[in-house]
Amino acid sequence: MKFRKFLGLRLLTWALTILIGVTFVFFIPRMFPSDPVESMIGQIQSRSGQMDPAQMEAMRAQLRVQFGLDGSLIEQYGSFLWNGLLHFDFGPSLMSFPTPAGEIIATYLPYTLILCLTSTFLAWLIGNLIGLRAGFQKNKRSSKIMESVAICIYPIPYFIVALVLQIVFAFVLGWFPLITTINQSGGTWEFLSSLLWASILPAISLLLIGTGWWIISMKSLSSSTAEEDFVMFARLRGLPEKSISNRYVLRNSIIPQITALGMSLGGVFGGSIMTEIMFGYPGVGMLIQKAIMASDYNMILGCITISIVAISTATLIVDLINPFIDPRIRYS
Amino acid sequence: MRKFWKNSNGRLKAGLIITFIFLVIGFIVYLFPHEDPFSKNTYPTKLLPNMEHWLGTTSMGQDVLWLLIEAIHNSLFIGLIVATIGTVVGVFVGLLAGFAGGVLDRVLTVITDTFIVIPSLPILILMTSLMKGSSTVIMMALVLALFAWPWPSRQIRAMSLSLKERGFIDTAWFSGEGTIQVIITEILPFALTWSLSNFMNATLSAIASESSLAVLGLSPGNLVSLGNMINWAMERNAVMAGLWHWIIPPIAATVLLFIGLFLLITGYNDYLTMRRGK
Amino acid sequence: MQKSFKKMTAILLAVLLVVTCFAACTPTTPAESTSTPESTADAPVESTPEEPAESTPEEAPTGDGEMTDVGTPRAETLIVETQTPTDVPGQFNSYMQGTQMGFGIHQLMSAMMWEMDTVAAEQFGEVADGMPESNADFTEHMVKIRQGIKWSDGEDLNAEDVAFTFNMIMSNPGISQCDYYNQTFESVEVADDYTVKIVTKEAFPRLAQTFGVTIWGNDLRIVPEHIYSQQADTSTFKDENPVVAGPYTVKDYDPLGMWILYELREDWDASTLGVVTGKQPKAKYVWFRALGDDNTRQMALINNEVDILCEVTPEILEVMVAQNPNIAAWYKDFPYATSDDPCSKGISFQMAKAPFDNADFRWGITLAMNFDEISMSIFDGAGRASPFPILTATGAMMEAYYEPLVPWLEEFTLDLGDGTTVAPFDPGYGQRMADALTAQGRDIPTDEASLLDMFGIGCWKYDPEAAEKLLIKGGLEKRDDGWYFEGNPFTFNMTYLADTEVQAGRGLQAAYDQLKEFGLNVNLASESSATWDTNAAIGNYEVAGYWPTGGITKDLYSVIRGWDADLIVPLGERGSGQASRWNNAEATAIIKELSTISPEDDRAYELGMDFMKVAIADMPFIGFHSGVKYVPTNSTYWTNYPNADNPYNGPWWWWSCFKYIMVDFTPVA
Repeated sequence: MKFRKFLGLRLLTWALTILIGVTFVFFIPRMFPSDPVESMIGQIQSRSGQMDPAQMEAMRAQLRVQFGLDGSLIEQYGSFLWNGLLHFDFGPSLMSFPTPAGEIIATYLPYTLILCLTSTFLAWLIGNLIGLRAGFQKNKRSSKIMESVAICIYPIPYFIVALVLQIVFAFVLGWFPLITTINQSGGTWEFLSSLLWASILPAISLLLIGTGWWIISMKSLSSSTAEEDFVMFARLRGLPEKSISNRYVLRNSIIPQITALGMSLGGVFGGSIMTEIMFGYPGVGMLIQKAIMASDYNMILGCITISIVAISTATLIVDLINPFIDPRIRYS
Repeated sequence: MRKFWKNSNGRLKAGLIITFIFLVIGFIVYLFPHEDPFSKNTYPTKLLPNMEHWLGTTSMGQDVLWLLIEAIHNSLFIGLIVATIGTVVGVFVGLLAGFAGGVLDRVLTVITDTFIVIPSLPILILMTSLMKGSSTVIMMALVLALFAWPWPSRQIRAMSLSLKERGFIDTAWFSGEGTIQVIITEILPFALTWSLSNFMNATLSAIASESSLAVLGLSPGNLVSLGNMINWAMERNAVMAGLWHWIIPPIAATVLLFIGLFLLITGYNDYLTMRRGK
Repeated sequence: MQKSFKKMTAILLAVLLVVTCFAACTPTTPAESTSTPESTADAPVESTPEEPAESTPEEAPTGDGEMTDVGTPRAETLIVETQTPTDVPGQFNSYMQGTQMGFGIHQLMSAMMWEMDTVAAEQFGEVADGMPESNADFTEHMVKIRQGIKWSDGEDLNAEDVAFTFNMIMSNPGISQCDYYNQTFESVEVADDYTVKIVTKEAFPRLAQTFGVTIWGNDLRIVPEHIYSQQADTSTFKDENPVVAGPYTVKDYDPLGMWILYELREDWDASTLGVVTGKQPKAKYVWFRALGDDNTRQMALINNEVDILCEVTPEILEVMVAQNPNIAAWYKDFPYATSDDPCSKGISFQMAKAPFDNADFRWGITLAMNFDEISMSIFDGAGRASPFPILTATGAMMEAYYEPLVPWLEEFTLDLGDGTTVAPFDPGYGQRMADALTAQGRDIPTDEASLLDMFGIGCWKYDPEAAEKLLIKGGLEKRDDGWYFEGNPFTFNMTYLADTEVQAGRGLQAAYDQLKEFGLNVNLASESSATWDTNAAIGNYEVAGYWPTGGITKDLYSVIRGWDADLIVPLGERGSGQASRWNNAEATAIIKELSTISPEDDRAYELGMDFMKVAIADMPFIGFHSGVKYVPTNSTYWTNYPNADNPYNGPWWWWSCFKYIMVDFTPVA
């Protein structure tokens, strides 16, 4: 009974969160002087000179109808809720009309996911391993060094890490490619290796920042676990340090890290924007930026809606399964 | 004060020193009379560091050192405004939700949760690119503050819920103190210690957001901030032209500032735990 | 000295970063190193960027055997930058919206009715055989079609295709030109195999100007009737394997939209280019690729990974020229850039707002700015002055309008309102710039013709005293603490577009510095492209860096038609043309008259002259420089690019006339 009530309430919050978030994103661009039709006409004029006024007038009227911008705001909002939110059909991209925004997002989504999921997992793994050691053997010199390095890297804003990596390794040393070329016309092997090659620098940048956080949080978790009584008892029983570390400390401190991993997986979407823009990596982040600049309402909504749904669902799942993996937490 | 210094750990000390240096640069050195570093062609262009211009000049004839000092000032200023707004609003909403309970609590909680969950970067990019033309420092700070309040709000709510269950508030109530007074005398002290750590955290993340946006070219074009300084240097091709005296100072300053603030935060938290432990 | 300093710092930075990397994630190294072998194994094939940044082009192998990333011999491949990567790769139909025509599609494949010869400032027929022949009242037009052009599948291109294209546009509301074509054309019919008869609803003396290329390209691109007539809806037909009349066809493209590879047609002599010029392009392959941010673009050109770039900033150009002797732009040395782009930059006023609606005010602003200093802070003094409102001082316009108007300009005076006058024209600009730049150590030619070419006929005087009087005449009031308008302190906003169009942005920033120094209270703000165009249409600005300018053909109609006062709509509404809302009856009368006469008519030129005089007196737009474009080329693999010494065309890679330029490129090897 208690679980049912909890579940119901949690689902309601989930739905409301998505609704509020998406509504917010729907109305923001429409409240400002930002109009996809004007952007398009402006683009034409800036490359091919002044347009014939009659032609401009005709085109403007026609595009407004085609883009579905002639209805009232409420009508547009209604149709977005129905199609976009419930059926995940965001309508045509306006900058690449009439190709559906969803189709374009689907082309680029895998690249974002590959890059971000892999580096999030790797960062989690590496960070926790180091953090565990640093926390368990708190007083060792190497632990201290690793922790202080983590503390020095973690707070640096992401773009600086990306920028410095790019300047040093791609421009000055020339070790990594400047231009992301992903070879899809060759075989699978060519494709995979070129993808890997293009992803190394962005992945390293994500790893550097990500690992730092996991080291710091795991260290504090495991060092407090290491001071608990049962660890002391285990030591007294004469168990080898390694098995204490694995069996007791790791098991007890990893649970909150698993939930945190769930949350950060949901958030990869928003986090990838900076990476993709800084490294010119083809993905959804680039798409969002381009869409905002061209006032492509549908594309903006599509990208951000997916991202809101992903992260709120991740939170939901984490909240729901938490009590199963951690007996100390109860539904409340 | 001396006792505090003695009790504090190494991180807190290092963090305090670095942060203090930045505050001095940003709010005291900044006041020394100097040419407006934003206006162009004040000095010869692309000078290497020398006695007159300790960090040289930009290719637009601006003094890099003063540009940096003004950037530190503005970045800190934005960070502090955002943190203040975020903390005040957050504490207020959190207390309100925690003590009012009922429907108001539910509504506030859902709104808070929404803002915690919404990915902030795409929304910030969206809002700043739309507002770029009309935005000022204050506008920028308000936009950033949009994402600075929900976290403290949630924490304060949880805190006030647990405090509510403890006896002494009821005692205070029974002894005739009004709700507001109870909050001020009994709750706020608790909330404040926690808020201080949160405040520093919010400062840090606000500066980070502003500079990230600036590097994407989305901060107001006439705002001298650390991010904008990096952006301008990149725009004028400082990296490829080897004008390192122009591009490295803002990067180095940003890195140092963040490490300092972060040390301060973790050090302060450790200090609190230690004190509580005692 | 500087180079070694740069290297040192770079190495230092690198060491620092590597150390921190390894220290931070010791376990990362195994994880990373397991993956590196795979990639390095393929690295030589995958990426030529391997070459160290320092490698000088002399060492770069130009010989045989070197391949590009897309598997074509480097020596046979011309690599061109595109600024417009596409989100819809594989879409080549120009009538489906979202197709990025600048991605080589209109440069190499499209069939235009009329193309532009940018040097002669004249159009010529591409698909059309000569100019249209119209009846006396310009409603019936006979257009001859060139014989001998074949589609890339071997079919003949004839009047059927042309008439079909017009009718397809008019009958498909999914095509964005549909409404406009229906407003314009009564009918388009095949008269015989190689003649099309076009009937317009109203007098239409400028058929070729409106439906042929003048700048960049045109929306009318002839499609193969035998393909497009088979499609259910031509506005949603992607056309993945396009059948084209241009000299190149698509060989391959990137599914992520970052590049397209084109291959020369075997029957190139039957393509539009082949039939018009008879010349064979030397490049077997043309590879258009998007290169990303500025750092990447310049590194790519320095490393010879691309042959020609689109526009860059002077800062970038100087770095590239210093690092690779094969890189050049229009002039070998300063000022590097060509000044022949037809969009002059300067400052626009929102003339529906006071006091910007006042000509004296606008002239006051003009004279309050020191143009020499503005010029120095935009592009270090480079660029031809283009002081006239609206009309750009391109080479052709210099000859047609700027130079003939000099005697009139020297006589021209402004009434300062206190009984005195000022002659605002300042012909000494070119000489002053040459002296100042020579003093900086630049190598500036001394002969008058070169100076005229580089710096133009002159600029508006810097005369703060006259400016003050004009502002006062324009309704402002000067008090001890600054300027007042209608009793309130006078401030206004100056906005510019951030990140793109550096010339316009820097011009506005320089103007801001000047006006502040003059004593006006001005705010400077930059806008992102998300709001820039909408703000223009609704008139939501005061003084801004918009560029409603032009100047490509001797007939000025297409440049000035948007300044017709009848097009003005209230602020807040979206207008077509007249974003600046300039209400001038004389100018409007000229535009109306011009619209009814043929561009070839002598009266058209007279009217153009009259319009310029009216515009100069009223100053609706202050021009700074003509479009100054730094367009770099790299002659490691290809050479004979157009430049100041060999100006057979302009460096307009992104225009549809690119095929007429690239046909003269020759391989080095």
